[in-house]
Amino acid sequence: MAVEKNYGNSELENKLRDRYYYTSDSSKDFSDEVRKISGTISHMCYQCGTCTGSCPSAPRSSYRIRVFMRRAVLGLEDEALMDPDLWLCTTCYSCTDRCPRDIAPTDVIMAMRNLAFRKDIGPRNFLKTVQLIYSSGHGVPNNDVNRAAREKLGLPRDPPTTHSYPEFMPGIRKIIDHYGLKEQADKLLSEE
Amino acid sequence: MAENQKPRVGVFICHCGTNIAGSLSIEEVMDYARTLPGVVVADQYQYMCSTPGQNKIIDAIKEHDLNGIVVAACSPRLHEPTFRTATSEGGLNKFRFEMANIRDQNSWVHMHDWDGATEKAKDQVRIAVAKARLLEDLQPKSVAVEHAAMVVGAGVGGMQAALDLANAGIKTYLVEKLPTIGGRMSQLDKTFPTLDCSQCILTPKMVDAGRHPLIELKTYTEVENVEGYIGNFEITLRKMARGTYDGPEMIAAGREGSGCNGCGDCAEVCPVIKPNPFEMGMAPRKAIYIYHPQVMPLQYTIDFESCVKCGLCKEICGPEKNAINLDMVDQLEKVKVGCVILATGYDLIPIEDKTEWGYKKYENVITGLEFERLICASGPTGGHMIRPSDGATPMKVGFVLCAGSRDNTGGVAKPYCSRFCCMYSLKHAHQLMEKIPGCQPYIFYMDIRSFGKMYEEFYYRIQNEGCKFIRGRVASVQEDPVTKNVYVMTEDTLLGRPVTIECDLVVLAAAIQPKPDAERIRQMFGISKSQDGWYLEAHPKLNPCGTTTAGIFLAGVCQGPKDIPDTVAQAEGAASAASIPIHQGEVQLEPYFAQCVEDLCAGCGMCVPQCPYKALALIEKDGKKVMEVTEAKCKGCGTCGGFCPGGAIRMQHFTSPQICAQIDAFLLGGRGGEE
Repeated sequence: MAVEKNYGNSELENKLRDRYYYTSDSSKDFSDEVRKISGTISHMCYQCGTCTGSCPSAPRSSYRIRVFMRRAVLGLEDEALMDPDLWLCTTCYSCTDRCPRDIAPTDVIMAMRNLAFRKDIGPRNFLKTVQLIYSSGHGVPNNDVNRAAREKLGLPRDPPTTHSYPEFMPGIRKIIDHYGLKEQADKLLSEE
Repeated sequence: MAENQKPRVGVFICHCGTNIAGSLSIEEVMDYARTLPGVVVADQYQYMCSTPGQNKIIDAIKEHDLNGIVVAACSPRLHEPTFRTATSEGGLNKFRFEMANIRDQNSWVHMHDWDGATEKAKDQVRIAVAKARLLEDLQPKSVAVEHAAMVVGAGVGGMQAALDLANAGIKTYLVEKLPTIGGRMSQLDKTFPTLDCSQCILTPKMVDAGRHPLIELKTYTEVENVEGYIGNFEITLRKMARGTYDGPEMIAAGREGSGCNGCGDCAEVCPVIKPNPFEMGMAPRKAIYIYHPQVMPLQYTIDFESCVKCGLCKEICGPEKNAINLDMVDQLEKVKVGCVILATGYDLIPIEDKTEWGYKKYENVITGLEFERLICASGPTGGHMIRPSDGATPMKVGFVLCAGSRDNTGGVAKPYCSRFCCMYSLKHAHQLMEKIPGCQPYIFYMDIRSFGKMYEEFYYRIQNEGCKFIRGRVASVQEDPVTKNVYVMTEDTLLGRPVTIECDLVVLAAAIQPKPDAERIRQMFGISKSQDGWYLEAHPKLNPCGTTTAGIFLAGVCQGPKDIPDTVAQAEGAASAASIPIHQGEVQLEPYFAQCVEDLCAGCGMCVPQCPYKALALIEKDGKKVMEVTEAKCKGCGTCGGFCPGGAIRMQHFTSPQICAQIDAFLLGGRGGEE
């Protein structure tokens, strides 16, 4: 476990904090859980970097999927789940296509997001999306600008989705309620 | 040049693709060659060594009635034999050929100096032509080859080579310094990646080698002296005093009794206890001992350095066997062989000198070889893996790879990769996880070099079994003095974080180095070493089993680190190569002998002690003392020729007129070198 120091200055303490990796930082349960949820052999990563090299998000952000794979292997739960980069994966599956060890890194990320959400960790935009789907059935609902454009193109103002058939909304809400997603999103956003 | 024969030299310039033609002007050199005295034809070709290239030489000899050939191309080490063959196919004596090395010694080193390289090539061609004008017909000498071979070192490589030679019908002496054959492989528990029991696959070979009618085991024996040359090596062996006789030795010594049968009664009564080097010093042996139960030959050996000569062993051995002689002394024996294979093996480096890893300072830091003995069912713990400090079962074990390998700091460190540590550490990790449920191995590595057949698959398997891999070279190992646990400090370079892992036991995959007496053996057999100390092969790719000394071959780690499959493969290659001259029955020696010009020889004899090969002698001929050369022994080194105060020694193919003509051609641009 990291050694605690007390300088009485939080900024300095953060700067000088013990960055050693100790085996006690590792949670075997976390590794196993990620492996189970992802359904992929996350423990077999040999850190070649093909995933990060394939990633369209990596050149535009600090997101490095290889680092998340390393955290999965070592069971570095806090480091993985607290990292805001976890939410920068676009789930394009390029890494999964190319992984030479036939691992699905995308699914590892999805598993970590699952586990993060269970620990009340989730970014605002994801939570808002949950609310929108709950209220409209759409992550990006129709709006007036869009409606005008559709009219111009000779289309109905609303697409043939829940916007046109609101009678299907209860079904969608039932699914979301089953996982407690809306409740969780409301709770987290209210804590902001 | 035979007398009354005008020199008619042909010059052939090789492009070697762009190796030569890309750095200098072939045309210019060819035009220049045509202006040289004695040159009647000059030609060029993309690859002179190809069949059309060689045909150019053969045709030109006939067409222009040539009597000297110069090829300006690569190194004579590479293609002199090729062009000599072409020369002789054209109808000339093959020694009427001279090579100018305008590739290795010119175009490759002056790649970016077109004009300079072209001028230098002209110099080189002019010098070669100067010698070619004076070349003479020479006849190689044939010598008979002794139908026997010697293998030095009886590890798995030496045994395999000896078995192959013997199975090919060649009498083979298998010389081993230790009291038993088997070598390092007999110390190993399992072999990667198949996890075969090492002893189980080795002992059949040991038995075969021990029982083969054409293999004569020479255990507890060292090479004392080497004389002779390919086909006729006279090797003196020192049979060290072993203190016991086996059956045949009893008969030879004229002793009453049946000799040592390996019963072990003597060891039971022996009062002297010493550490057993076979168990890496972790188990005891007596002053009269065998290394392990499967030794070959099964014959006890007395360590006379620790023996107190109490005589208890002799007493219990009894008159029926009468195997023990406490006053035995070393014996020298001469054997004659045609070829020799060296398979002298390796040692671990003294890894304690790399103090940062704490070997021999902390009890729970051991080497890979010690691990082998500790995990081995026939080892000191009966295969129960324990840690040395308290005998506890280790639950977290760190493996330090590249411990002294790939390290340029000098001292005991080695710049090369030791080539099998990655794989045996993977195997160790597997063995731990198999034998100790819940044991967590950590492998600290820079690269995992799993290059062999099924090796990468083995690496995959070990990772799948739960071994943790931390990419980072271990900076230091530190001990908790209370718990005796050891902390391994490194960086996880993939995480970008420093790492400290508390382990119960640390295993160092120590680098390997040549045996301490490898240097002495090398000098006796007159072979070279590479800069890292391993024996030097004749060519790293095209002649990996041979050496630059004819008749001496290499097998196994003595030539450079290699694992068991590579060692056995090289041993079979060396055996095959060594059997060729033996089966041919005779070898041709290059006729570069010294010759005594008897009219000039004053018979002073001063040259005789100068010769490093003992090839010279003073004899009485026609009432006059003259020097005589044993041509088969002469290596043409020129020591005597340079030394003779009367100029009475002539070096064939390197005569004074030939060398002077070359020097003149260089210094005077050929103008002073006219006949």
